[in-house]
Amino acid sequence: MKRDINSNGYIFLYSSILVVVVAILLTAAALWLQPYQQRNKENEKRMMILSAAGVGEDGKIEYIDGETPVYLVNDNITVLPMQGNGLWGPIWGYLAIAPDGKTVVGVTFDHKSETPGLGGEITTEKFQSQFAGKQISDKPIEFDAISGATKTSNGIKEMIDKTIQQYQPCFKKP
Amino acid sequence: MNVKKLLIEPLRKANPVTVLVLGICSCLAVTAKLKPALVMGASVTLVTAFSNLIISLLRKGIPNRIRIIVQLVVVSTLVILVDQFLKAFAYEVSKQLSVYVGLIITNCIIMGRLEAFALSHGPGESFLDGLGNGLGYSLILIIVAFFRELLGSGTLLGYQVIPQSWYEAGYQNNGLMILPPMALIVIGIIIWINNSKTESK
Repeated sequence: MKRDINSNGYIFLYSSILVVVVAILLTAAALWLQPYQQRNKENEKRMMILSAAGVGEDGKIEYIDGETPVYLVNDNITVLPMQGNGLWGPIWGYLAIAPDGKTVVGVTFDHKSETPGLGGEITTEKFQSQFAGKQISDKPIEFDAISGATKTSNGIKEMIDKTIQQYQPCFKKP
Repeated sequence: MNVKKLLIEPLRKANPVTVLVLGICSCLAVTAKLKPALVMGASVTLVTAFSNLIISLLRKGIPNRIRIIVQLVVVSTLVILVDQFLKAFAYEVSKQLSVYVGLIITNCIIMGRLEAFALSHGPGESFLDGLGNGLGYSLILIIVAFFRELLGSGTLLGYQVIPQSWYEAGYQNNGLMILPPMALIVIGIIIWINNSKTESK
């Protein structure tokens, strides 16, 4: 008996089998590769924190959990995680603060889907380096926005202001 | 089976980018630097070759009415696999390629080869045809990326090629080369040279 290749029954059977086979294949691949991908992501986060703090690859990071989680790099630089919204999707970054609790050591930003060449410029050294040396006070930090990327720049501003406000109580030393 | 013809023809005489003018979008996007271009070329070559092979093996069983869907499923599966592999083993490059890996699914070259070749030829020939077309695409990608990185950033594969003394003498990188319009112009020039050389007598 030869099945009719264009009958509805055959088409349903064919597509069902195809989908199941593909699903199994993709799940297996995802499960197998997940640890590697996770490691890459963690490594990237580590590099972002270290680069914000301005120390080399072999810096020591200590995670301090709590209501306001921070990272302590080399026992003296405090690094705050930041989260915000850009134009197309989330943006995030790290803000490193010197032991005096006032001076910004450096920042790193990254983004999910900002426009390359405009909002995407927030990941460049040129944009990030201007933050080093800024003082944290009651006034918001001022910086040069990227022309053509107003929404992303505003997102960065909001993100920094929000983070500093959130952590403000921690800076006021007894 | 004419191995040489299947592999060599798509490199120049029937190049998918310069002659058939397919897959231009990704050509503009990933050619600012040589390294992503190499990885993109390799990924597309892999996907074209294996989707051609798989579709060719299945071709007698695929119901005609859903053949495009079946092709898409096979292509997307391969692309997702490539994407996952890149994320696991070449994270930096996968970040640079970002969405363009996923967009391989919609690369006209792949669907074009499946429809035009794999559905009517045996697995061996189809595999070689996919390989040839992928290589043809990669070739153009590499040529474009070579000039864009050299003139735009003064580097090749990230290594400084233009000596520092040139910069001191007043040489400047051409910032326009980094932007997509220049990729289009470079491809245009390649097509121009290619056409003038292969013009039928």
